[in-house]
Parts: sequence; structure tokens; C-alpha cells
Amino acid sequence: MSDSTINSTALPPREPSALLGGFNWLARTLATVAATLFGLLVLTFFIGRLLPLDPVIAILGDNASQSAYDAMYRQLGLDRPLIEQFATYVGQVVQFDFGRSLTSGNPVLSDIARVFPATLELATLSILIATGFGIPLGVLSAMYRDSPLDYIVRVLTLLGYSAPNFWLGLMGLTLFYATLGWVAGPGRIDFVYEYTLTPITGFLLIDAPLLGEWQAFANAISHIVLPASILGFSAMAYIARMTRSFMIEQLNQEYVVTARVKGLSWAKTVWVHAFRNIAVQVITVVALSYAFLLEGAVLIETVFAWPGFGRYLTNALLAGDMNAVVGCTLLVGTIFIVLNLCCDLLYHLLDPRTR
Amino acid sequence: MTHLHSACPRTMIKAAALAALLSAGSAAWSATPPDTLVMAWNIDAISTFDPAQIGEVVTNEILMNTCSALVDYDPEDATRVVPALAESWEVNEDERSLTFHLRDGLTFPSGEPVEADDLAWSLARVVKLGFGNAATLEEYGFTTDNVEQLITAPDPRTLVIRFDRPYPSELMLQAIAANRVATAIDRDTVMAQEVDGDLGNRYLTTRTECAGPYRLRQWNAGEAVVLEANPGWTPAPALSRVLIRHVAEPGTQRLLLSRGDVDVARDLTPEDLAAVEAAPDLEIDKALRPQLFYWGFNNDDPILSNQKVRQALQLLVDYQGLADTVMSYSGIPRASFVPLESFGALDQSEGQPFSQDLDRARELLVEAGYPDGFSMRLIFGTLPYSATVAQSLQNAAAQIGIDLELERMANAQLFSRVRGREYQMSLQSWQTSVADAHGMASRLIYNPDNRLEARNTMYPSWNSAFYSEQANQEIEEALFETDPAAREQRYHALQREVFELTPRVVLFQTYNIVGLNQQLKGWRSNGFRSYYTLTSK
Repeated sequence: MSDSTINSTALPPREPSALLGGFNWLARTLATVAATLFGLLVLTFFIGRLLPLDPVIAILGDNASQSAYDAMYRQLGLDRPLIEQFATYVGQVVQFDFGRSLTSGNPVLSDIARVFPATLELATLSILIATGFGIPLGVLSAMYRDSPLDYIVRVLTLLGYSAPNFWLGLMGLTLFYATLGWVAGPGRIDFVYEYTLTPITGFLLIDAPLLGEWQAFANAISHIVLPASILGFSAMAYIARMTRSFMIEQLNQEYVVTARVKGLSWAKTVWVHAFRNIAVQVITVVALSYAFLLEGAVLIETVFAWPGFGRYLTNALLAGDMNAVVGCTLLVGTIFIVLNLCCDLLYHLLDPRTR
Repeated sequence: MTHLHSACPRTMIKAAALAALLSAGSAAWSATPPDTLVMAWNIDAISTFDPAQIGEVVTNEILMNTCSALVDYDPEDATRVVPALAESWEVNEDERSLTFHLRDGLTFPSGEPVEADDLAWSLARVVKLGFGNAATLEEYGFTTDNVEQLITAPDPRTLVIRFDRPYPSELMLQAIAANRVATAIDRDTVMAQEVDGDLGNRYLTTRTECAGPYRLRQWNAGEAVVLEANPGWTPAPALSRVLIRHVAEPGTQRLLLSRGDVDVARDLTPEDLAAVEAAPDLEIDKALRPQLFYWGFNNDDPILSNQKVRQALQLLVDYQGLADTVMSYSGIPRASFVPLESFGALDQSEGQPFSQDLDRARELLVEAGYPDGFSMRLIFGTLPYSATVAQSLQNAAAQIGIDLELERMANAQLFSRVRGREYQMSLQSWQTSVADAHGMASRLIYNPDNRLEARNTMYPSWNSAFYSEQANQEIEEALFETDPAAREQRYHALQREVFELTPRVVLFQTYNIVGLNQQLKGWRSNGFRSYYTLTSK
């Protein structure tokens, strides 16, 4: 008898009600996602039209004649009733046509596809650094509360919380790039590689190894390590402080005392039992930090000349490029929704009470 | 302990290997490539490369280094023009037409020859599209109805431009023939991409299809611009590529320059420029631009319509204090509406006769009927020195009882407010494309129709609701004065009259100033642009 036979006979057939429940959950989730995105679309579109920014001037410049202005105003459809403009726009969006960016002349989706990988790469590395250091430091700080280690962690996290990223970025560049020469400077990669590396995914840290360009890969790492560390430092401060706080609460619980009385080691009590109980909260904190990083860290992207999503969105907003603003806002909304769904699934796995 | 001892060397070796890998990635290319000019520049303003549409200095410079115009400004003396696409030209006797003879062997990047007909079509296209640059031609009588009759190509190497009136030929050479509107666009290539009768406007948003030393290889908005030498162009530029990296933060630009990762930094602050000037292997290069930074007034405002009030405001400006601090490296004090180094400009001392005089300003306010002062809102955009200058004006105004409320906003919002006359005071800049007093007079002072419904929004004079019948007439007369010396005197007189009228307070004439790596040779700038083709390493 093969293993598969054992498994297939061992598994009970799924109840129709369970399938129905799964279907209902999916339908509810999709309806929520659609309603949230539509709400975002409505809000962004109408707020965009109320802003005192003139998309016509963004296109024509400030010395255009009134006749040229009027012609462009009509061409953009701004002379039509707002509801009609909105209906037209929604009709385009459901076909994944977000229009053209007024400032770059490209379709908004292609602009986003170009800038978002830069931010995703930076945010992912930052959150890995933040989580890798933040959770252990938070737990250790709680375990050795009021010890020198705790004070060091608290000072570090306070610095990460309060020091502006902009300032840290400039100081980091001055020290590690301009003075010590340990890392490469602003930008994602050196010029020599920038226009010779054919993008496959848009992620340099993936494309370079795929193309066998190991020097380019090293160069890309050298460029990303400093901005990712600075962003990661701020996120680490938040994660470590929250983890410490959650863990202190757990360590005051009676089950911890019981475990210790039963002879369980301090490390095992903390890392196996107490940590399991704070995992759901920590995941929420990490997911929120990741979502904020994915929105784009405008100041860090500015200091490091990082061609990312945050700068693209900010520039679009300042130029009154509402097609780009609405497209970006919907992407940010989608990021939050997807991360929320991922969190829900993880809660489901980690906490039996949520099942 | 044994474990610790054995682990440490391994960790250290790994760390050293990683550090070597990282430094290999960074240090190997710390110098810029020998065949490439690398610049750090805030290029956020770029939104198109269509010569009919671009309207700001960054794209103008890139385009003028990419596409040649009929003639060019002399890099050493911006008041002179030199041959470019045209090897020679003639002015007919009644000064009503210019005939240009094109150079032999000019080709587009597509390999097709450049003919005079392409230029005639390119100029007519600007008028037909009706973007901001159409005003460059409309100002001298060209309309959609007559442009094809007035600009003709009798043979493939001859272009004739006729005018409706006898404008000064030197002015026409600067205003039209040296302007971006007089670049040759590859008509066949562009029209093959026409969409909905846009004459290739959308296609040219991200491309240059013109005759010139470079061509646009790549533009990623907010990221970089890459120019590549045009293979068929003679003389070939010394550097085969130009890379302009978008770096918005001046401090970052300075670090890149000091490390040798860029050859030129374009947006440095006074502090950065002072550091660059002091560094042994770096230098600064500056040239006065025909650009004025001014304190604009809405002359329709009941208080600001009073000339004595405007004269009082003129006396609040601490020109020297600003020149020594926030404007050091950024510009020189200038009160005249005609920039230095332009035909007809008053000299430096006569063009800026004012100094801060709060007592006299207070007297003027009393004479104007405002002994207790008034409140006013001053709006300004994102120019790096605007906020500091605004604060300086606010401090001085407070001392004579004027309460200035400051409001900073995005440039697009500022322009929108000013065009709609929805403001009281503003801080703005205006640049002309000619080294001639008429360039500024025709926009800052001349106002064809001041009625609100006239919507002459491309005239800063209309935007500030300033109208003087006499000044209009004097500008017309100066334009058609045939004796150059007499014409110059007319502009001198007009500048003195405008000091009295004070439609706005001109504050500074700005510099085109950059930080350079000394390894770069032959960098040339004048008020209008920098010349990439003259640069080598």
C-alpha cells in the first residue's frame, strides 16, 4: 500500500458546509477588497479635483496662452461635469487603464511597474534587517529588563524613533560613502551597469544573478545596503519596542512562573512558550512596518537618489498629475489589503482561537 | 572558549570577503567613464522633449545640446549669434525677411538628409500645436493661417522667414533662429507616429527626432537622462555620452562630486558651493542668466494699486544683506527689469540704485494714506532661496507696520494663482530667451490688454495687472528704432521710468552656477545654457 493510498483513505471527505464556508469567506473577502478599492478611488478622484493644483499648467507650462490653456482643458475633459469625468475614469480603471501620467507621458501602469520594484527591493531588505534585529533585541530587552542590555536597547530604539531619516541618510552617506568609501553612493547601481543590464523582473538583486552579472550584483548590494540599513533602523526601533512591551506583559503571566517552577529553562520558557503567545501581535507590527515602507520612504529616496515609488507619488502630487496619484493610491490600498489578508492567514495558522 | 576562538576568524574572514565584494562594487567605478559626461541635476521638471512644448530651463538646455537650431549663441558672448544648422544668413534691405543657407551634409539620426522644408515644417508645427512656445512666433506676427506662407523653403538648402513688420534682425536671430522652436525635426519619422492629429506630440514626449550632436537614448522620469552622440554628426562631440542623474538633494550632489562619481553638480546651495570652491580638485563655474527673481504685486489690489505703497515696498529690500547671505552664489542685486549682459541694459550701479531705507518707506506709507500699515499675503514656490528672502521681507515690512503673511506652495499652484490674479504678492522668476531689452520689456512691462476677460496669461505684466499706455508705446517705438544707439537710449530711459512706476520689485539677477570636477575640460556656460559638445576629459 502506497503512502498516497494511506493519506487518501486517512483524510475524511470535506464537508459540503466547509466548502460553502470557504466559498463564503472568499466572496466576503473579494467584496471587501472591491468596496475598499472603490472607496479609495472615489476619495482620491474627488479630493484630487478639489486640490488647488492645475494639471493644465503642469502640461503647458506657466507661459502658455489662454487659448492653448482652454484647448488643453477641453482635451483633458476637465470641462465636463465631475460625475461624467468620474464615470469615464472608472470605466477605464476597470480595464486596468489608469491613463497617462501628465508629467512623464507614459501610461501610469508602466511608470508604476518601473518605480515600484525599486521600492519593493529596498523595503523588503529593510524589513528583513528590522525584523532580524528588532525581534531578538525586543525579547532580550524584556528578558533582562532594567539590565545594561535593556538600557542600551532602549537608547538605540529611542534614537531610531527620534532621529530623522533624512539626517541619518546624509550622515550615513558622508561617513560610509564620502569619507570611508565602504559603500557605493546614491542611486540603485553604478552607471556602467545601469544601461547594460537588461531588466527581467525589475529587481536588480534578482536580475543581476539571473544574468550571471555578479559584479553588478555586488555593486547593487553596495548601493542598497546603506539606505536599507537606515530605513531598517527606524523600523527596527518600532518592532523592538513593541516586542519588548508585548513580551514584558507575557513574562508577568502565571504560566511563565509555572513553567519556571517546573524546571523549564529561562530561554526555553521565553522563546518557546511566551514568544508563541506574542507572535500574532508581532506579526501585525511587522506587517504594518512593511506596509509603511512599501508606501515609499520619500526622504530616504530623495537623499539616496533612489528612483522609487514614494518620490514618484510625491512629485505627481506636487505637479497635479492626478492620473498618477490615483494609480499610486490604489496600489498603496492594495498593498495594505494584501498584507492584511496575509496577516489574517498567519493568525489562522498561529492562533487556534482564530480558527 | 575554544568554540569562540574558532568561530571568530571564520566570521572575520567572511566579513572581510563581504567588505571586499562591496568595495569592489563601489570603488572600481568611483571615477566617471572617460567617454561620458556625468551630471547630477534635479530633473523633476522634465515632462516632454517636444520642442513645441518644453518651457523650462532644464529641458531647454538638454534639447539645445541635442538638437541644433538654425543659429546658436556664442558660448563666449551671449549677445552674438554664430552659425549652427545655417552656415550663413542674409537680411533683406527692408528688414522684413531673413534668408538662411543650411550647412551641407546635415542628416537626421534616421540617416535622412535635413532639408529646409523640414525646418519650415518644424517652425509651422510649433504655431499649429499652440503650446506655450507658440508665443515665441506669434509675438512676431506668425499665426496658424499665415505661418506656411511666411516661412518657406525655396530649395532644399534655403529657408526664408518673412515678417509682417521690420523687426530688428539681431533680435529676430536671437528670438527665433537661436530658439528651440527653430530646430529641425525629422518630419517623416514623427508624422508616421501621429495620433489624432497631434503632429507627433505624444511621440516626441520621450524622444528627440532632430538634427544635432546628440540624441536622446533614454529618459526615465525622475531617474536619469542618457544622451548618445549622433553618429552622422560633424564635428563629433569629444564625449560620446552624457548621463544626467536625477539627484534632488543638493547635499547628495556635493557628496557625489567630491567622490568623483559625477563631473558636474547643478543644484548646489551656497554652503555647498563654498565648500566646492575651497576643495583642491573641484571648482565652480558661473555665468549670469537673463533671469530675474522678483517680488510681484497684483496691481489690482486696492492697496497695491497705490504707486507710493509700491515705492515704499521697494525700499524695504536689503539688497546687500541678501547678497552677502542667502543669495551669495545665487545671483547679484538687480532692480532694473533688463538683465545685465543684454542689449539696452543699464550698467550694474545704475541698474540697482536702491538700498534699504525704512524711514523713507514709512514716510511714503503715510503719504499713501496708510500710516498704520496694512496686512498682506505673500505667496512663493519651491525655489531654494524663496523662503529666506520672504522672511527677510517680512521682517523689514514689520518694522514699518506691514504685516506680511507668508504662504509656501507647489510651483504648479503658485503659477495657477498668479495666472488667475488670485494673489496679492508673490515671489517668482522670469527668464527671457534673448539678450535684448525687448525680451523682458515685451513681457514684464508691455501689456496688450489689461481687462480681466482678456486673459493674457503669458504676460507677467497682465498677471500683475500692470498697464501703462505710455510704456506700451515706448516699447513699440524702441522695437522699431533703426539706429542701434538710439534704441539703446530708449531702453535706458524706459528702465528709469519703470523705477518710478514700480509695477514689481526686481530683486536679483540669477547665476547659472555649477560645481565641477577639475578633470573635466572645456566646460562652457553662458546665460542661456551649457555646451556639452565643447567638454572633454
